[in-house]
Amino acid sequence: MQNSGTIVIRGIVQGVGFRPFVYALAEKYGISGWVKNLGSRVEIAAAGARFSEFLQAVSTGTPLSVIDSVEVLPLDETPADGFVIRQSATGALDGMIPPDVAVCEECIRDITTPGGRYEGYWATSCVNCGPRYSIIRTLPYDRERTAMEDFPMCGACDAEYTDPASRRHHAQTIACAACGPSLSLLDGGGAAITCTDPISRAAELLDAGKILAIRGIGGFHLSCIEEAAETLKRRLGRTEQPLAVMVPPDAVEHYVVPTEGDREMLQNRIRPIVVIPKCSPTAHTGISPLHTIGVMLPYTGLHHLLFSHLRHDLLVMTSANMPGTPMVTATDEGVARLQGQVDAFLVHDRAIQNRCDDSVMRDGYILRLSRGIAPKRMAIDLGDRCILGVGPELNSTTTIYRNGFAVTSPHVGNVRNPQTLAYLQETVEKIGALLGAEFEVIAHDLHPRFLSTRYAHELAAECGAELVPVQHHRAHIAAATREECVGIAIDGVGYGDDGTVWGGEVFAGASPDLERIAHLECVPMPGGDLATRYPERMLYGILPTGETLDLLSARGWGEIEGGVLARQVERGVNVAMTSSAGRVLDAASALLGICRERTFDGEPAMKLESAAVGGRAEDWNLSFGTDDGCRTLLTSDLLQRAAEAQRAGVNRPDIAASVQHNLARGIATLAVDAAHERGINTVALSGGVAINPAIRGTIHACIRDAGLRFLMSTEYPPGDGCISFGQCVYAAALLDR
Amino acid sequence: MKVNLMHGAGGEVMGELLSVLTRFSHNNAGGIGLESLDDGAVIPIGDKNLVFTTDSHVVHPIFFPGGDIGRIAVSGTINDLAMMGGRPIALSCAMIIQEGFDVADLERIVASMDAALGEVGASIVTGDTKVLERGALDGIVINTAGIGVTERAVRDNGLQPGDLIIASGTIGDHGLAIMAHREGFDLGEQIRSDVAPLWGMIEGALAAGEIHAMKDPTRGGFANAINEMASKSGVRVEIDEEALPIRRSVRSAAAMLGIDPLEVANEGKAIMGVAPDDAEAVLQALRSHPYGRDAAIIGRVTEGKNVVMRTSIGGERFIEPPVGDPVPRVC
Ligand SMILES: [Fe+3]
Ligand SMILES: [Mg+2]
Ligand SMILES: [Zn+2]
Ligand SMILES: [Zn+2]
Repeated sequence: MQNSGTIVIRGIVQGVGFRPFVYALAEKYGISGWVKNLGSRVEIAAAGARFSEFLQAVSTGTPLSVIDSVEVLPLDETPADGFVIRQSATGALDGMIPPDVAVCEECIRDITTPGGRYEGYWATSCVNCGPRYSIIRTLPYDRERTAMEDFPMCGACDAEYTDPASRRHHAQTIACAACGPSLSLLDGGGAAITCTDPISRAAELLDAGKILAIRGIGGFHLSCIEEAAETLKRRLGRTEQPLAVMVPPDAVEHYVVPTEGDREMLQNRIRPIVVIPKCSPTAHTGISPLHTIGVMLPYTGLHHLLFSHLRHDLLVMTSANMPGTPMVTATDEGVARLQGQVDAFLVHDRAIQNRCDDSVMRDGYILRLSRGIAPKRMAIDLGDRCILGVGPELNSTTTIYRNGFAVTSPHVGNVRNPQTLAYLQETVEKIGALLGAEFEVIAHDLHPRFLSTRYAHELAAECGAELVPVQHHRAHIAAATREECVGIAIDGVGYGDDGTVWGGEVFAGASPDLERIAHLECVPMPGGDLATRYPERMLYGILPTGETLDLLSARGWGEIEGGVLARQVERGVNVAMTSSAGRVLDAASALLGICRERTFDGEPAMKLESAAVGGRAEDWNLSFGTDDGCRTLLTSDLLQRAAEAQRAGVNRPDIAASVQHNLARGIATLAVDAAHERGINTVALSGGVAINPAIRGTIHACIRDAGLRFLMSTEYPPGDGCISFGQCVYAAALLDR
Repeated sequence: MKVNLMHGAGGEVMGELLSVLTRFSHNNAGGIGLESLDDGAVIPIGDKNLVFTTDSHVVHPIFFPGGDIGRIAVSGTINDLAMMGGRPIALSCAMIIQEGFDVADLERIVASMDAALGEVGASIVTGDTKVLERGALDGIVINTAGIGVTERAVRDNGLQPGDLIIASGTIGDHGLAIMAHREGFDLGEQIRSDVAPLWGMIEGALAAGEIHAMKDPTRGGFANAINEMASKSGVRVEIDEEALPIRRSVRSAAAMLGIDPLEVANEGKAIMGVAPDDAEAVLQALRSHPYGRDAAIIGRVTEGKNVVMRTSIGGERFIEPPVGDPVPRVC
């Protein structure tokens, strides 16, 4: 019977309370020895009569840990009596950083316990909760390598830190009002406001309708009560964009109707923003013009304290950034950029090492992969090469594959300007350094003009890595599955093999042999990106008729504008051809007068979805064609049918619902027929359009009714947040072939 | 690789072809040669420099609002000389004409060339004519080469941190005028090409202050020219969107068609980097000439790389060299 050994546990074992957990078990089972943190593994030297019980117990891990493997090696020393936590060793940089975690129930109790030493302290945390990724400078995860280094522990905190019986034994984020980060309130110009309790004063300002910038875990939020939401949007110049809100748990149902799954997701320790239908689709339009609201629960001590003082039960909580640029993180930068937009700042003095937006979920799918999830670590064997996937351009993440794990960054955003490109670069460098990555392969989007493509080229020139361009929609499918499948990728825009603009694609095969076998009809995009901004242009591109022009002129298009548009399409001047599903939905949204100008990503299609709520979808006849050997769904017929229905006076929700339903049916038909023809029994779905529950639902039903297996990833966003991971998977498959 | 139309459209794609076509080991006659890919070559002769350049011209249609192929053929070469700081002296003219071409049109073209030469005091002193059968080309191709002289050549790679960037006038006129006319767009208001020989204006500017770098934003437009200047100089350039002189008619046509006016050709403009202390004097000199009336300081040079535009709403975006065809990128 073995009674000693060196136990090596690999996985996410840092910042998750692993060493104190081991310590407590050693005490319990009378084990002597030591435990040491080595980045992606802990080593335990253990000896004692109850060794095997101890081994079994440590193998279960802590709530936040992820255990990949447990290995027992012989122990070549006889440990001294007693058990100690040894200093972490540096050097082993293949470790993994745990994501930030919402404050735990016990810590909330500490904060609200009168007379306790954490009473009212906003940054209370323990081994089971608090910031991680956002404060880490380097690994291994120890206080001196985090933003907590600036806050030496007071005697009381030190006593808890070193007490094996404490929940804060070796909790690197331990802090209290005496020693930890503190809050202050600044006026709109950045000057300090003297007050005894910044939180209660901030709550008063919010209750009075003021707009505050609140510095949180991974960056700044802009916050206000519902009544002030319109003012906030006006100041931001984003009058249409839906805003996320934070509500205490018992107020959720005042605003939205969560499913059981939504409720669980809200309370998940990720504490994401969950997109949920409103109680009444037309209520709270100041917060969201859609039929849904993105809701989250308080996830830090600060949030809980704020709500304890606030008379309102809802706060708008939207990330603070200039349009299209990364969220503001530093206080001085926040003051400089947000001056004039906010009435006051509630800030803390702990550095935000790594920016991290809130994650967003809907129906169990990830819309934005960020706080609480990222850096996301996926065990997957992509071979021995270290691969970087730089992502696409919009809603980007970046992924690094090394030694059996793919690690995806938090949401980087729209890499379309110098700031966001710099953030992408910084993210690659930081996570690359944390992982000790040396890139041998850099995968990037096929689009020649994406800034991320340019970055990939520059980086490859520096480090000598091999470049692998990956077609956008193949990356979507590769992110969904590596199995042989028929893959449907439906989204806005991606650069295709033939230089046209793809976005409603059906593939067959397995990465890297994903053959494009069907797609939506290629239709003109008059003015290129201009047609994305003004969906009525897209409408005319698909239905270039006198009737469409009449409709546009009735809506205020001038004669010259209309004439130029018609001439442009006729002559093909600056007209791209696209098979995008998103653009078809945009055109329908324009046809129905729902959205004339897109002011935020996906607006026309999202508003179409909202308009379709309560509508009755009917089956329309679908027409198909062929194009260069691919089968196509004729979306011009679909829109023609919608236009006829509109002229016949069919009500708008019914038409909206029918357009979504028949587009989905058409795409599903292409996929199902291809699957039958080729004897493939799995159909995978990816792309931003798949987030629409009506479209996803119809596609799913068609596939199920055809006796095929439906597959959609819940691990990565269906939208472009999955692309960087898909790029890694695809590039690895290509190089292995 | 086979040559395709994208290879002639300027920008990055054309660079691929140029890497083949510039593979000469005999490429420099003692000063600035082909290796520099500047507006023209410079050959030192005694204490003077000979500036030498050549260009072939095709344009459809050959007559358009504001000019014709003849005016372009002369102005293009004169401007390339001027961009090197060279006073244009003499030009050659080679015409390749399609069988069936109207002689009356040739008369108009020649008269227009002559007028342009007269503006700057240059002459066409030699020439060549070929006539090809129908279908061998579309109408007419005019090649001109020119020589000029200068005491000090102005390069396109001399931008220095601290310099201010000046545009000698409105951007995008020629490209949008040609497109509108060719494709028959009724824009409500006619856009005229800016095609013009610039030596007179440039001569004044050179006398007014120190111009560190200069280039004419022809094919690939302002976006291409400024990127070449920045990358060859190893600097970063910041452009203020609000300072860019763009005609209202050009702006509105570009907005209606989804075309970036910074990416279309100009035929009568110069972009220059000027020492900050001299900027005002150079600006005034430009403005005192009819072709420089709308000149403006549009940005500055800093350390670093890339060309960045500060937008009117307080953001920043890159100005990138255009590829042949615009490709939509919005998801
Ligand atoms: Fe996509
Ligand atoms: Mg020059
Ligand atoms: Zn806790
Ligand atoms: Zn303390």
